[in-house]
Amino acid sequence: MNTMRFRFASFGKRIFIVLMQLVMISYVILIIYPLFSMIISSFKSTRDIMRFPFSLPSGFDFSNYVSVWVDKGFSVYFLNSLYYTVASMVFVVMFGSMAAFGISRYAFKGNTMLYMLFLSGIMLPLKAAVIPLFQIVKGFGIMDNPLSVIFVFIAMGIPSTVFILSGFMKTIPAALEQAARIDGASELRIYSQIVMPICMPSVALVVIYNAVPIWNEFFFPLVFLQSDRLKTLPVGLSSFIGQHSTKWELLFTGLSMAIVPMLIMYLFMSKYFIKGMTAGAVK
Amino acid sequence: MKIRKRLKKAGWITFFVTPGILIVFVFILLPLFMSLFNSLFSWNQLIRHDFVGIDNFKRLFTAYPYQQRFSNALGNNARWFAVTMLVQNLMGLLFGYVLSRKIAGSQIYRRIFFIPVLFSIAAVGFLWGLYLRPNGLVNALLQLIGLGKYASAWLGNAGTATYAIILVNIWRWVGFPSLVFLTAINNVPSECTEAAYLDGANEWQMFKRIVFPLIVPSVTIITVLTVIGSLNVFEQVYTMAGLDGAPNYATDTIGTLFYRTAFGSVDSGAPEIGIGSAVAVVIYLMTFSISLLSIMITKSKEVEM
Amino acid sequence: MKRLLGFFLAAVILVSMVALPALAEVTEIQFWTWRPEDVSFYDKIIKQFEEANPDVKVVQNPIKNTEYNTILSAALAGDSAPDVFMSRAYGGLQTFADSGYMLALDDLLPELANFSESTRMGARSITDGKMYGLPALSQTMLCFYNKKVYQELGLEVPKTWDEFIANLEATKKAGYDALANGTKEGWCCEFLFGGGCASLYGGTNFYNKVITGETTFEDPVFVAAVDAMLSLAPYMPNMYEGVAYTDMQVSFINEMSAHFIGGSYEAGYFKAQNPDLDFDIFAVPGKTEADPAYVSVYADMNFAIAATSKKQEAALKFLKFLATPEYGKQVVTDLAMVSSVPGVDVSSNPFIAKVLELQKNSTPYIFLVGFRYNQPTGSSLFQAAAQGLMTHTLTAEEVCKQVQEGIATYYKPFQK
Repeated sequence: MNTMRFRFASFGKRIFIVLMQLVMISYVILIIYPLFSMIISSFKSTRDIMRFPFSLPSGFDFSNYVSVWVDKGFSVYFLNSLYYTVASMVFVVMFGSMAAFGISRYAFKGNTMLYMLFLSGIMLPLKAAVIPLFQIVKGFGIMDNPLSVIFVFIAMGIPSTVFILSGFMKTIPAALEQAARIDGASELRIYSQIVMPICMPSVALVVIYNAVPIWNEFFFPLVFLQSDRLKTLPVGLSSFIGQHSTKWELLFTGLSMAIVPMLIMYLFMSKYFIKGMTAGAVK
Repeated sequence: MKIRKRLKKAGWITFFVTPGILIVFVFILLPLFMSLFNSLFSWNQLIRHDFVGIDNFKRLFTAYPYQQRFSNALGNNARWFAVTMLVQNLMGLLFGYVLSRKIAGSQIYRRIFFIPVLFSIAAVGFLWGLYLRPNGLVNALLQLIGLGKYASAWLGNAGTATYAIILVNIWRWVGFPSLVFLTAINNVPSECTEAAYLDGANEWQMFKRIVFPLIVPSVTIITVLTVIGSLNVFEQVYTMAGLDGAPNYATDTIGTLFYRTAFGSVDSGAPEIGIGSAVAVVIYLMTFSISLLSIMITKSKEVEM
Repeated sequence: MKRLLGFFLAAVILVSMVALPALAEVTEIQFWTWRPEDVSFYDKIIKQFEEANPDVKVVQNPIKNTEYNTILSAALAGDSAPDVFMSRAYGGLQTFADSGYMLALDDLLPELANFSESTRMGARSITDGKMYGLPALSQTMLCFYNKKVYQELGLEVPKTWDEFIANLEATKKAGYDALANGTKEGWCCEFLFGGGCASLYGGTNFYNKVITGETTFEDPVFVAAVDAMLSLAPYMPNMYEGVAYTDMQVSFINEMSAHFIGGSYEAGYFKAQNPDLDFDIFAVPGKTEADPAYVSVYADMNFAIAATSKKQEAALKFLKFLATPEYGKQVVTDLAMVSSVPGVDVSSNPFIAKVLELQKNSTPYIFLVGFRYNQPTGSSLFQAAAQGLMTHTLTAEEVCKQVQEGIATYYKPFQK
């Protein structure tokens, strides 16, 4: 009863299953193809990418990869991106889950207001405030310093983390917490050893939801990091886009490189929320 | 004794909440409010002039061309919201449900559906920009299956451009509600559904009466994120249609309107910081109130566990 | 032996301890550009400059063109400005000049007096008449054509508009896309018009009249020129409203189209992508042979110094270098662009020589030059309306009306 078995299904249900399968298979094809074509294009030249977009490359010429990694400095940019993303994500998860815990597990006046204040953080694109933000960063003396983008990334990631995690945390029965309190556990322990482990699937979701925009963020590193040795991958990619010409083959090479860590992170994280999803009820 | 307990509780709350709120305040809320404050002044290029109160707002809503651009852009944002809710979130719900019921292949689908989220918005814009060209993949496929007469300049045609971009965005995001709903549906205790099954309920009744009411919190999350997303959409339109919402403002959104008004662009020229900030204020107020409304409406429908 | 070595080492250390502080007198200046594609060119130029001026070091920071204005504004407003930066011309310069972020160069750079009036116009503030930039480049909107195709079909450079259309017709019949241009991106419409129809509205004569308000954009001669742009549609690629800038370039480079109306800056890219491409240029003619065949010209780039820069002396040295004919010559040979520096030797690049020939009948690139000083700029109004025209949602009259009304909201001569 819990599964959608074609064999035992009624006629109406069979049609439904067939339709859904068609849609889902088409979607899978629509996912694999762009990934495939992006990687394939990295082995071509700009002219060939535009002229023969569907063809396979004549050979597996890795010169674009060498050019991007070595000449264009991507070896440095890649490591920078990795460092900034990991550093920010650690704090996004930590501070975000702590704030979500504080808001959702305790009843107090101003609870909703605090919640809405956090949510305000994603109600406007931060780009809108680039000039005041620039002045604030300058005021702290962290201009052209990795800390500037790391703080901005942390600030960007916390609102949605608070939003998603408090939603999931609210579904945890209060009884669990009470039992732990009676046993003498401190609030910190309740947070770290009871609530957080249960929330692992949603934490995994939150990590992916925030790590991807941070990894791909192009605007703020461009604004705050002027020294070449501090620049990130997306900023490096933007150097392939000229005013009147674009180096498509290098762009696709860079994009193919950029998506690899995301795929790895996803494969790693997906274990967590798939485990959580099949576990079923929280009890 | 009670006071000590209260203080202790307050202490803990402060401990948990402070680091987050501090960083968000300094690096997001403060600069945002500073720039919203700019809307109350008149500007000479990049230099602030006199305090003019709500003058910029009046110009935004009555003067040419801002009034026309704003209502045009808002219309597009409404389209973003409508199509995203109806297509993306509904599909996400269907996918989530079907995957939770372990339809054939769900192991594979579950893992693959989320991959588009991993692309950067720029990459998505480039790739789909290439596929939607007049001689691109989409038109070639249409010709292949005999629907060649529907081939069109998807991004160049005022009637189809916005919808094309919305659909690309849906392609990118549908994995997210799918996963959220999948998790939520799996969290529905099996006792509830089994009891209903034994009572003779069919799949649709079970969904309507038991599963859906119990996953309302995730519906709230998805709805609010969609509201915020539709009002704030910028990157995708910028990459695929440019800052001016080509062709002829058909794809313009309040996000792109705000950006080119506040910062100017190479072709649109000088920045109008006062009016740009006014647009930002309007975006913020609209997003805030609609999100609050959605949260309150769905909260009333929540079922306690 | 060891003692001698030790003595030698000590001497070296002592000497460097004295010399290093002297070396530390090197001033480092930040140089921002919006041309990531020209990084290696500017690196070469910087190296030459540093060799001639060992006490100055220049650090180049190329920023993506579309984000350049925003980031520069933030840096200038946040007091973290580069010392030397590329500045847009005309209205783009006005923004930063009026905000007080740029250094007036009239007295500091006497070389400026030798620059031509048209280049100076792009670096001058209309508020106080001072020069705030060193003009760098001028661009010309004209028509590229594929010489091989012309030879194949026995075509000649057209001398009247009808001959131009006939050439388009002939190349279309031969199976090519007659004109590579598409209209997906707004600015492509603007240069299609500026490069293709300038002769039809009477070039500089019209420009001078419209600037003073003596005539408007609803003048029948202008409306007719806009209509003529629409008449080019049958010769543009299939579904041209979806053809983007890159697609246009690729089409011409891969010899799938015979003509390309665009800027002279394309030449370098065309040559680099397809060295076998045999192309040349002509000015799109007017109705009759007697009408001058105009090309739309505009000053494109200035080098400016930030008013808040603490290294103005060093920055000025760099600017003086960028005002020399030697620099200008390299612009011509390496970048294949027209340098604004006077007295530059263009013999090394026949293409540039040809562009300068055509510039004898130059007219200001109407919206970019005259109407980008306020919002809504003439350019943005025209681009959007032109897209409407080319997708058949607006008529030429409506386009001109929209442009006229939009500009009239702030342009005094139109507000009679």
